[in-house]
Amino acid sequence: MKTLDIIKSANQNLLRNKLRTVLTVLAIFIGSFTIILNTAIQTGVNSFINGQVEAYGGDGYVIIMSADTMNALGDQMGVSSGEPKEYDPDKIQNSATPISEKQLDELNELSSIEKNSIQPMHNVSISYATSDKTDKKYILEASILPPGEVNIDTVAGVKPDLDSEENQITLPPNYASVLGYDSEEAIVGQTITLAVQDQVTLAYTDFEAKVVGVQASGIITQNSALINRVLGDEIYEENTKYYPENMKNQVYSVSAEFRYKDYSAEEVKDQLKEIGLVGMTVDDIVGSIQSFFDVIITVFNIFGMIALLTAAIGIINTLFMSVQERTREIGLDKALGMPSSEVFLSFTVEAVSLGFWGSLLGTGVAMAAGFGANAIFHAAGGFLEAFPTFQLVEFTPYNVIMLMLVIMLVAFLAGTLPAQKAASKDPIDALRYE
Amino acid sequence: MTKEILLSTRNLHKSYGKKESKFDALKGIDLEIDEGETVAIIGKSGSGKSTLMHLLALLDRPTSGTIKLNGISTNRLKNKRLNHLRNKEFGFVFQSFFMNADDTVLNNVILPLKIAGLGYRERKRRAMEALQIVEIEDKAKNKANDLSGGQKQRVCIARAIVNNPKVIFADEPTGNLDSVTGDKITKLLFDLNKDKGITLIIVTHDEDIASKCKRQIRITDGKVISDSNIKKGQK
Repeated sequence: MKTLDIIKSANQNLLRNKLRTVLTVLAIFIGSFTIILNTAIQTGVNSFINGQVEAYGGDGYVIIMSADTMNALGDQMGVSSGEPKEYDPDKIQNSATPISEKQLDELNELSSIEKNSIQPMHNVSISYATSDKTDKKYILEASILPPGEVNIDTVAGVKPDLDSEENQITLPPNYASVLGYDSEEAIVGQTITLAVQDQVTLAYTDFEAKVVGVQASGIITQNSALINRVLGDEIYEENTKYYPENMKNQVYSVSAEFRYKDYSAEEVKDQLKEIGLVGMTVDDIVGSIQSFFDVIITVFNIFGMIALLTAAIGIINTLFMSVQERTREIGLDKALGMPSSEVFLSFTVEAVSLGFWGSLLGTGVAMAAGFGANAIFHAAGGFLEAFPTFQLVEFTPYNVIMLMLVIMLVAFLAGTLPAQKAASKDPIDALRYE
Repeated sequence: MTKEILLSTRNLHKSYGKKESKFDALKGIDLEIDEGETVAIIGKSGSGKSTLMHLLALLDRPTSGTIKLNGISTNRLKNKRLNHLRNKEFGFVFQSFFMNADDTVLNNVILPLKIAGLGYRERKRRAMEALQIVEIEDKAKNKANDLSGGQKQRVCIARAIVNNPKVIFADEPTGNLDSVTGDKITKLLFDLNKDKGITLIIVTHDEDIASKCKRQIRITDGKVISDSNIKKGQK
């Protein structure tokens, strides 16, 4: 028999008992729908988290502080023992301690750290932002763009050029309208005014900054503007104008890029430890969120797999009934010269077809549900309204096709039992069967 | 006119079951059937006539003894080869038709060609030819279930000849038909023998149809008790 004929007759046979076929397909559909939708949510959330990670500073991003500062932070969060400790000037202090000049030099020499990628994490403080088009003043938080391959989701324009000579800024969402512009696009390329106070006399000084983009809402960068280095330095200089020189240059933490292609995060941390520093990579910061989320998805996937297993038993049951009903037909086929292998094949193809239709239906409905959910959650009042770039449900062709293939494989395996029974039927007995 | 020996058996035995429950269906059958013969295998229920037909039709293997088709021993042939031989050389007509009731007449006739792996057009052309021979081509699109008994048996004959077989095995072909319809079906089978030279092997307990065959082989208790063939007498 030709392969195409086998596939065709398998599907024709499925149509003979429509109700039974529909019910079996429905069982497969439930399992595949669950798994496909879960995977899509996992993809969506992971790509969002990854986007956030990149907004934070990408794979090679590391925040470095002195071990003392880290211990102090630990104490504040209640991580340490809580016992009062005796002061010992030779031991590591449990209080925030700046990174020393010597440590900074040593840091720049570490093999795992990109040369000259070290950027002090100065706290820049802007009092308010305003523009020519409004008399009102708006509070604005800002931070300096991290170094490295940083990906910032923007709804208009681009991220600031870190090394540009001109003052650049990207604004969080909603600032365009309050600053007097019709849309997020309209403010891009415009200049706004940032008022900065020095921390001693509290006098205001205005800085001009060119808006190069508007950020999409995210978890990490939300409500904080991003500025490039030259603007950051100017604002910091203004903030600390009347500070004593040695205090001005105090750095509690620096960000840097490590050579993540050649060094693991652990190796970097070991090198840092030797010079009395502690590093936190992006994985330390957001990795735990991701692994927590993965556990939830895995639990849901187990539910999906249980559903699929039940469906597989449904396939076995359906096909056993079918073999029973078609005993004489199988006998005739074999009497007329159909090899056992083709009888086996025709029943497994039926099983695979059930798997195919079930998973196709599952994919279709999961996609409809996914796109529907995305639309509803992003609509006004939806819980993702503030995160336009977050696609909760994200389908990739690779995932969908792989899952369909896996489901069809499960169906095939389920089909082998009844198919074996059909293939081993003796044509004479089968023809006598009433 | 010399004729080729088509099927021959030597000391054919067939047993079912084991030890105490062992049942010998055939106890040593020696036969030679020539090409183009019409042979009736006659016997009562349980005589072993059906078992003999199944062995001759290569649907089953003997416990001992040999079956030769066109002079070639079939004992050692692999299943694949036997399947192929049945598909190419044999046609089957059964008492209770064995049709796929929900399928069309045309698709029922096409079945052997579909199994053989022929292309769609070729098999449809040949199936229509076969339906013309049995004069039922106007029912090609009908569901098999909607036909009368005589029409069903015509469809079965069409299915049996669609692959241009050398032999047709007919197992009580008129058993489910009234006498008038049965006579028409019998005539159709003998016409095929006359016109196309197809060997007919009819298993029956109906003396009427048996008498129309040139040769009658009577089976009782798994043995040939009489054979009208002269050759047998010469031995």
